[in-house]
Amino acid sequence: MKLFNSSSFVKLSIMASKPQQLRPLAGTSRAKRERTITSNSSVSESAESNPMKDAFAKYANYLNDLNDKRERVVKASRDVTMNSKKVIFQVHRIGKQNKDEVLEKAEKDLAVVRDQYVSRLAKELQGTDFWRLRQAYSPGVQEYIEAVTLFNFCKAGTLLDLDGVNAALRPLSNPSMEPLQINIIDYVLGLADLTGELMRLAIGRISDGEVDFAKKICTFVREIYRELTLLAPVMYDSSDMKTKMDTMLQSLMKIEKACFSVHVRGSEYIPPLGSADARFPLLGEDDIER
Amino acid sequence: MTIISILVPHIIRSIPLSTRRFPLLSHFAKSRLTKFQFLAILPVCYHSPYTSFKSMADGEGEMHMQHSPTVEKLEMQFEELRSQLEDSGKLRERIRAVAMEIESTTWLMHSSLLLIHHSISISDVIEKAKQQIGGLRELYNKLAEIIRECPDQYYRYHGDWRTETQTVVSLLSFIHWLETGTLLLHTEAEAKLGLNPTEFGLDVEDYLIGICFMSNELPRYVVNQVTAGDYECPRKVLKFLKDLHAAFRMLNLRNDFLRKKFDGMKYDLRRVEEVFYDVKIRGLATNGESAGKEGDQGQS
Repeated sequence: MKLFNSSSFVKLSIMASKPQQLRPLAGTSRAKRERTITSNSSVSESAESNPMKDAFAKYANYLNDLNDKRERVVKASRDVTMNSKKVIFQVHRIGKQNKDEVLEKAEKDLAVVRDQYVSRLAKELQGTDFWRLRQAYSPGVQEYIEAVTLFNFCKAGTLLDLDGVNAALRPLSNPSMEPLQINIIDYVLGLADLTGELMRLAIGRISDGEVDFAKKICTFVREIYRELTLLAPVMYDSSDMKTKMDTMLQSLMKIEKACFSVHVRGSEYIPPLGSADARFPLLGEDDIER
Repeated sequence: MTIISILVPHIIRSIPLSTRRFPLLSHFAKSRLTKFQFLAILPVCYHSPYTSFKSMADGEGEMHMQHSPTVEKLEMQFEELRSQLEDSGKLRERIRAVAMEIESTTWLMHSSLLLIHHSISISDVIEKAKQQIGGLRELYNKLAEIIRECPDQYYRYHGDWRTETQTVVSLLSFIHWLETGTLLLHTEAEAKLGLNPTEFGLDVEDYLIGICFMSNELPRYVVNQVTAGDYECPRKVLKFLKDLHAAFRMLNLRNDFLRKKFDGMKYDLRRVEEVFYDVKIRGLATNGESAGKEGDQGQS
């Protein structure tokens, strides 16, 4: 504090001559103020510090509890992210022959994520905390959405809607608690991420010869992108939706380009070699059947 | 899309079979079709090499049949999401409308409160500023009513009235301090705005940020009070601000906006200390003894 005072002393000493001149003029109003304010403060000075300290002790407790809870939620969310990623990788291991087997394992892994990790969130997010701590759990929940919808698409070929996701979460919480229900914002943001995974899946399937599956993914992603262009402008809660839309279009165009080149090359390439061509066996059969 | 799809077979028919496939596609790729139009053609072209032209036309219909169930189902699923998001958007617009009214009320209140720097009788200034409180209560009641429609979603829309509320707290606490010389506590602020904490309370962090804003007002007030001849003011403000700063140090803050505001409070404290020092060193303060004591504490 001495440092502050000495450094600014020169500057302020110039100004300080003014109050001296004003002093006689302001004498009356000063006397009046002394009566109104200093009398108040003299009463409160002794009693004042205690209520403030007490109140701030309360605020400190409140903030500590909130921060602890936020920290727990962030940790739980990170676990959900990590394990959901594992499920996604498992789904990517899908091939022509091992489909059922891979999906069965993915389903088991998904159940573990749900029962062990997502359930931890349910306990923390009762009442208003659900929206208050959204920032803290959002990444994990989005990754979970990505995993469930990717799994569901590979299994059923459809989009698992929000009610479907939430129905699976309902048995997690005990009856005394409100069940954890994923909010619409995170669901839509999760869908936006899903298209990136579907892109990887489509490219993988094409190089494995499952062109029809890739085309199905293409239609699916195309439609999700189209629908999300309508949703993005009404998503006020999220600023990152716009960048996600750009990424999504990039992924979609990659799938489309891959489908395109397989069409073009396929149609040119296969007839001279016949259906015995090893590189695109399915494509060859498929096209001839039609 | 349909025009192009219908045209494609005719174009293909006019090209010799051997050059039919690849050149055509590359032609489309180079032409000015958008990627969407171009992709719309793909299914047709895809079938062309292996099917007769008649079945190719059928093939186009087939593609539609094949894709429409998924597309339709997805459309329905997203329709539901959109209507939900739009509802929440409408609610948000209503909240924003109220929040903007709160904002303009705070402007009025702030401008009438700024008169204290003119060294006009403080009680008149305070009375004028306090006239707006009734209006604020009504507006907050409106907000609470809107939030009542979606219980537990207070924090979903919290951002829409946050900054306005912080300003409200800063004004209310400044008025309260001018009147009583004490800090407006969280519960008192809630009571002043007629809020029911179980339903629509005042967020503690908003309250604390509002208090920091109030602290920003104090140095200017002290400077002008001294200029107007109130030499007791610096001591009083310094004591209050030191207590407040000490109280804030009890909090464990995260690296967020509140932390930033709290870090700024020490500069308010410093400016008030400087004014106090200037007044004291010239012996302007009448209450020399108590001022001296305060001063020693200030230097330590």
